[in-house]
Order: sequence, then C-alpha cells, then structure tokens
Amino acid sequence: MKFSINNSPKTVARYGYPDWRKKLILMLLIGSLSLLVVSLICLNFGVTSIHPRVILSILGNKAGDKTTGLIIWQLRAPRIVLGVITGAALSTVGGAFQGILRNPLADPYILGVSAGAALGACLGITLQHLTGYFFTSYLPFFAFIGAMFSLYLVYLSSKISYSANSTGLLLAGVAISFLFSALITILMAISHKELQSMVFWLMGGLSTANWQTIGIITPPTLMGCLLLFFSALDLNALSLGEEEALYLGVNTGRLRIRIFLVGSLVTAMVVSFTGIIGFVGLVIPHIARLLVGPDHRLMLPASAFLGGIFLVLCDTLARTVIAPIEIPIGAITALVGAPLFIYLLRKENK
Amino acid sequence: MTDHEHILTLKGVYFSYNHKREILSDINFYSTKGELLGIIGPNGSGKTTLLKIISGVLRPQRGEIYFLNQSLNKLPIEQIAQFISVVPQDTWVTLNFKAKEVVFMGRLPFISRLKGETLKDYQISQEAMEKTQSLSLAENNIQEISGGERQRVFMAKALAQTPRLLLLDEFTSHLDLSYKYEMLKLLKTALKEEGLTIISVFHDLNLASLASHRLILLKEGKIEQIGTPPEVLTAENLQRVYGVKPFIINHPVLQVPQVIM
Repeated sequence: MKFSINNSPKTVARYGYPDWRKKLILMLLIGSLSLLVVSLICLNFGVTSIHPRVILSILGNKAGDKTTGLIIWQLRAPRIVLGVITGAALSTVGGAFQGILRNPLADPYILGVSAGAALGACLGITLQHLTGYFFTSYLPFFAFIGAMFSLYLVYLSSKISYSANSTGLLLAGVAISFLFSALITILMAISHKELQSMVFWLMGGLSTANWQTIGIITPPTLMGCLLLFFSALDLNALSLGEEEALYLGVNTGRLRIRIFLVGSLVTAMVVSFTGIIGFVGLVIPHIARLLVGPDHRLMLPASAFLGGIFLVLCDTLARTVIAPIEIPIGAITALVGAPLFIYLLRKENK
Repeated sequence: MTDHEHILTLKGVYFSYNHKREILSDINFYSTKGELLGIIGPNGSGKTTLLKIISGVLRPQRGEIYFLNQSLNKLPIEQIAQFISVVPQDTWVTLNFKAKEVVFMGRLPFISRLKGETLKDYQISQEAMEKTQSLSLAENNIQEISGGERQRVFMAKALAQTPRLLLLDEFTSHLDLSYKYEMLKLLKTALKEEGLTIISVFHDLNLASLASHRLILLKEGKIEQIGTPPEVLTAENLQRVYGVKPFIINHPVLQVPQVIM
C-alpha cells in the first residue's frame, strides 16, 4: 500500500498521483534552458569560427564588425531558429501520429505528405529548367501545394476503399507515396541538370532559413502543436484500444481526423521550406517516452524540446563536418538517429 | 421514483454490419434499477454486439434505446460515457501506463481538456482501486501484470467512471476463484448500496445463474427467453438453443439452477 505510508498531508491529498502540471513546468524550464545553451554553442560553429565573446556582444547589440554581425544575425541565427521549429514540429507530430495509430513506427510522413511536398518542389524545379524562368523563392509554395494535393488524394482514396479509418488512410498514404516517388524519378530523368537542387528536397536542409521564412511558419506550427497537446488525454485513452476510448467518451473518429489534419498541415508547412528531414519524427518521440513516460501531456512537449535540440545539433554537424560542403541534414539525422534508436530499443528490452 | 423504475429500455432494436446478415433482430427488454441482468447464449448469438449497442459504440439501424426517458440513439458518445461504463473482455494496452494511470482514465468523461483534472478525480480513482482490491497494483505497469490483475484494474477504471449502468463482458474469465467471489460480492454491494444497475454477458451458465436476478437467453440474434434463472435455465430451453440436453440440478445453498453435462 504505497499510498498511506507518506505522511505529508499534501501527498496524501493527491492519492499518490504526482502533479503532472508541476512536472510540465519543470520540463518547460529545463527544456528552454538547454535549448538556449545548445543554440548559443552552435552559433560558434561554422565555416568561420567566431569567438563566443564576440557572439555575445553581437547578440547584446554592441556589435563591432559588420560582416561578423551579418553572419550571426542573417545566416546562423535564423538557421538555428528554423532548426528548433522544424525539429520540434516534426517530433510533436510524430508523437501524436504514433499515439493515434497505436503504432510505434508511425512518423509525420506516414500519410504521404513528404512525397507530395517533394513532388511539388521538383515540379517547380523542372518548370524552371524547361521555361528558363527562375522562381526559386516560390518553390516552398509549390511544395505546400504538392503536400496538400497528396493529402487530398489520400483522403479521397481512403473514402473509396474503406471508411475513414486508420488502416484505409495508411494504405492510401503508402500507395500515394509510391506513385509520387515514381513521378519524382521521372522528373529527375527529364531535368538531370537540376539533380542537385532536387536532392535537397529529398534529403532536406535548413540552408533556406531566413527571418521571413520563420515569420511565415512559426504561428501555424505553434498553433498546430498546441492543438495536438490539448488532445493528449484523448491519445492516452486510445492506448487502451479504439473501443475502450469510445467507452471513455472519446469520439475517436473526430479525434483521428483532427490529429491527421493538424499534424499533416504542420508537417507540410515545415517540409515546404526544409525538404524531407527523416528520422526526427520517428525516433525523438521514443526517446521522450523513455525519459518522461507514456503520458502524452508530458511526452508531446518533451518531444518538442528534444526534437528542437536534436535537429540543431544535426544541422551544426551537417554544415561543419566537411565545410564548406554541406551534407544534407536528412543523412545526418539518420546516421545519428538509427544507431541511437537501436541502442535504446535494446536497453528497453533488457 | 420507485425502486423498480426502468433504467434502460430497448424497443424493437435491429442491427447488422453493412446491412448484410442481421446480428440482432427485434430486441425488446428493459432493465430495472439495482438489478443484475445476465445475457447468455452460444457463440455468435449476438451477446457482445448487444452490449456494444447499449454502450453507443454501435448504433442500431432500427429501434429505440432509452436511458430513463432519454433516447440514446442520437446522444453523442461523450455524454453516454458519463453514465454508462464498460468492462471489456480483455484489452491490450499499447503504451506502458501505470495501473493507477489507467484507473484514472475512467475520469476522462468528466475532465475538461482545457482545465484538466481536480483532486476529486484522484480521490474517486483511489476509492475505485480500494473497492476492487487493486490498490496494491497501483504502481505496476499495465503491460506487466497478469490477465486477472488487469481485469481488476479495468473494473476499477469502470467504477472510477461513476456509472449508473455498468456493462460487463465476461469480466470474470481471467479471475481466480477467490477474486471471482470477491468481485461478485463487490457487485452485489454496488447494486444494493449505490443504486448501480449491471448488464453482464456470461459464458459460464452457472455463474450467470448465481449472479443474475434475471437472464436473457439469446439465439441467433433473437431473444429466446427473458426471466429469472429458474425460468430460463431449463433443460428444454438449453437444448433448443445449444443443441445438447444437459442436466439441471439445484444449488444446495442458494437454490438456483446449476447446469451439468
């Protein structure tokens, strides 16, 4: 009887249930602090290394050298902020998708959003190549349209085959992904001179980061992640099974549509600027679960922080390891993430 | 309000998946406050489907379901969960929650997603665990306890939902004899003292006879007979429904029929 032993009146009143709100606040504090420290450290690294004291004085607006200020403010800082937002968004969506599908292998791209975004962007690049007009800054727009189109197709085909249940949506997502991959390959063959820029969309990267981009994606991403967070209790209930969740008054049909729609929108938003960054949304939720337990009210925010930190670190590696050449960040996330994931799984099973 | 008010009434209920074979046809019955109504019948006779229809997870194609005087047909699941709770046959939990966290989920129909839970929700969860003797399991991971222990935890969760109607689907199937006995005692107390009403599917006819005030005998989705255990558990009825003729003897203490081969 673990409940009655504790004599502190406050704990007795909580009946052995720890206060998750306090845990959440503590996590927000630790998370923000680590995020800040990691970001400041990563500001140091790059093609030219800049002394931390110089960075602090630039950030404190006591700037000296103009070029250095430009590198910090216009190149590295937005890149780090974009990394944080992207990592946080992909990980939160991944966690929510794993919850709604009751499947540990789910990731933010499971409904084919990634293939759609990549196809949209590659279509834009091919058009550039064929027409000779350049509209590189509009490529995110193409990518977003592609992502939305794939989502629409998934929804349509799932409606034809099954009712809008998870399996139907999943299968439709897989089918659409394959179809779009085939189309991308054809586009690559047509405009093979643009291969380099197409690979960017398939492997992802944060090099397009600027403050304008961040201004565009931050509000909807933040709102989407908050919406997912407020479905945390429903996702908890769903771990007992679809029917059990219904018995607990969770409208699972509506929950599924809400999570899929919000999650895919957030993913599309991010992927349209960064390309497909894999592995973050799959691995980070598992690490978060190992650290804070399965409760989505803690697990989703933990995923956001861990994902942000992880992606900023990966990006720093991507742009420094063989500088000035940049490695696609998707390669780094997989390279770091896969062994880490297997190690954790082994540890969990022991 | 009398003690014998009809808490649940089904009128002419039909159900089929995708309008194919009818799983349930022309189901009519009521259940009075404070009674334990047992549902028996062979495999595939529609017992579990009937529970799902009552709980609102499945909606009937025809017919009406009333809880007191309120129609359940169009009532959203969020509201039904505030007065009907269910203990399913067995469930596998995909995430490794602690037992006490699973019990606490019984409070979900009453928790605002924006404001979160209150101390009262914890208190009710704790009481439900005490009643079902699952308090000692509170800190255990739900994936790592036995089937019988899990059933007690799920019973606690269903009670934490503070239902007025409790639906059970062969809830004793994994329980040891001693816990089976304790659980029946607990349910009888809940019926008497808390005004709970229980509808339970039984696979074990003898347990059904011991526990229920009245029995519904289902055959191929139709009600074959409703009545007290001595009225329903006759050799003729059982032969008609199950196809074999058993012996019926009288329980030496409780004076209810018991079925032996």
